[in-house]
Amino acid sequence: MPKGMFVDTSICTGCKACQVACKEWNGLPHEPGHFRFDPVEKRPVAVNFTGDSYDNTGDLSAADWRHVRFIEQFSEDRARSRARWLFSSDSCKHCNDAGCLNACPTGAIVRTDLGNVTVQQDVCIGCKYCIPSCPYGVISLSEASGTVRKCTLCNDRIHNGLGTACAKACPTGSISFGEVAGLKAAADRRLAQLKGLGHADANLYGYKEAGGLNVFYLFLDRPQVYGQPETVVVPQKRLPVSSAVTVVGALALGAAAMVSFRERGSREEDEEVKK
Amino acid sequence: MNPEVHVPGWEWYYVAMYFFIGGVSAGAYFIGSLAELFGGERHREISRTGFYIAFPLILLTPPLLIADLGRPERFWHLLFHAKSGFPYLNFQSPLSVGSWALLLFGAMAFLSFIDNLVAEGRLQSVPFARAYSRMPRKWYAVVGSLAGFFVAGYTGVILNVTARPFWAATDPLIGALFIASGASTGAAAIYLVMAWRKKIAAAGLPGLDRFDRLAKVLELVLAVAVVLLAGRWAAPLLRGSSAVMFWGGAVLLGTLVPLAAGWYLPRAAEGAALPERWATVLAVLVLVGGALLRISLVHAGQVQ
Repeated sequence: MPKGMFVDTSICTGCKACQVACKEWNGLPHEPGHFRFDPVEKRPVAVNFTGDSYDNTGDLSAADWRHVRFIEQFSEDRARSRARWLFSSDSCKHCNDAGCLNACPTGAIVRTDLGNVTVQQDVCIGCKYCIPSCPYGVISLSEASGTVRKCTLCNDRIHNGLGTACAKACPTGSISFGEVAGLKAAADRRLAQLKGLGHADANLYGYKEAGGLNVFYLFLDRPQVYGQPETVVVPQKRLPVSSAVTVVGALALGAAAMVSFRERGSREEDEEVKK
Repeated sequence: MNPEVHVPGWEWYYVAMYFFIGGVSAGAYFIGSLAELFGGERHREISRTGFYIAFPLILLTPPLLIADLGRPERFWHLLFHAKSGFPYLNFQSPLSVGSWALLLFGAMAFLSFIDNLVAEGRLQSVPFARAYSRMPRKWYAVVGSLAGFFVAGYTGVILNVTARPFWAATDPLIGALFIASGASTGAAAIYLVMAWRKKIAAAGLPGLDRFDRLAKVLELVLAVAVVLLAGRWAAPLLRGSSAVMFWGGAVLLGTLVPLAAGWYLPRAAEGAALPERWATVLAVLVLVGGALLRISLVHAGQVQ
């Protein structure tokens, strides 16, 4: 039975306890700083640190397996009645049709019996092909190990009867861990409740996308507002057509070679050359 | 399309250069085999030169590919599963299938290379020569040219079959574009090596010239189609360094200038080949254009 997580963003407070718990349990380092000389400051300045007090990572990476987004929605006149601050804790979605796993040329990325997708660190060669193949921008290269790393759904914990570290740490119950089927039932109930309370835009994200996501979300606004693509095409779905067009290109050149190298009368000329 | 999809960070001097050198090698090989299969005696020098080029160039490529890996010492995991030791192939991953195709192409290019040496009498060792004279050379030219088409084209499929917006938006044309570029750069390399070996065989040149022109027209059409297909994601090809490399290098130097020169430059006689000096300059331009085509498209998909 696949295990997964349901992230109910409507009750997330943006405390980032999930980020901290993830770092601690998985022993993840800080994001390596990339410094460049700043002509104004006259000293090297880290160009990949956000400097934001709320969103401190800006993105998922090999060292940040959880990322809490802060979305400010204020009307032009800043009227408080029309102000909304949305939070969403993002991670690997453990897609049932996982672009990274499909793309892996070494078999380093595997799906376990609990449905989670993990990278075997001793097999990965760091070819980086999985990185652009993930439609969500999750998997990333670790500069320290030379391999790709991402959320494992706490593979070690869940295979020993525990939940994920982030779900365990979440103080509001926004992240819940369990069997996907049970989580979906709870998500459906919560969506009905929110619709009843007047949240007309509330929606569940991850039932259909990429073959179904084992980590799925309840959003109060359109998924795009939360940085999630609304139409997801797993890249390998396009492989047959892409290959076929390439073969047509090859056939066209083969035909071009045939007409170019075999001109009328060339047979006879060849015979003469042989004589 | 999700612009938040991460960039792989493939370096142009490893990955784009592999795409280019692999394309020249594969192009030279399939031109060589097709000239041999369809063209007969008068194209012998062209096919020999193609086979002489293909093997040394393809030998250069594994170091480039391996150097771009995060863990270069594990490159063999591409062919053999690290845990079981069995050969490993993932049909959903063009990178996995391509690794095997590259190996197969390298083997065929090696056989054709040796075959050339024996045929020209440079390999005198008798048992060697006797063994190779019994080899079905047309068969491995056929297998090798199929593998060559694959090596030239799968690098484009690798880019197209990702979720990066520019590469995904240009799907499914880059594979065919790279094959066409492989053909024109392969022809240019054949010409340069023939000129260097002072073996410009006038008999075969018109055929090579005709094929080259068709390949360049196909390349030009596909390059323009790629930009049109990219639509709103074409921005990296419209401004910045990728745009200069793509339009100035790949399109202008790689296809337009050589095509125009073929029309307008004076020739000794109607249907005769271009003067050697001009043809040499044009061949160098085509090779530069082919390299810039790969660099610009690898870069355009990684602009954030």
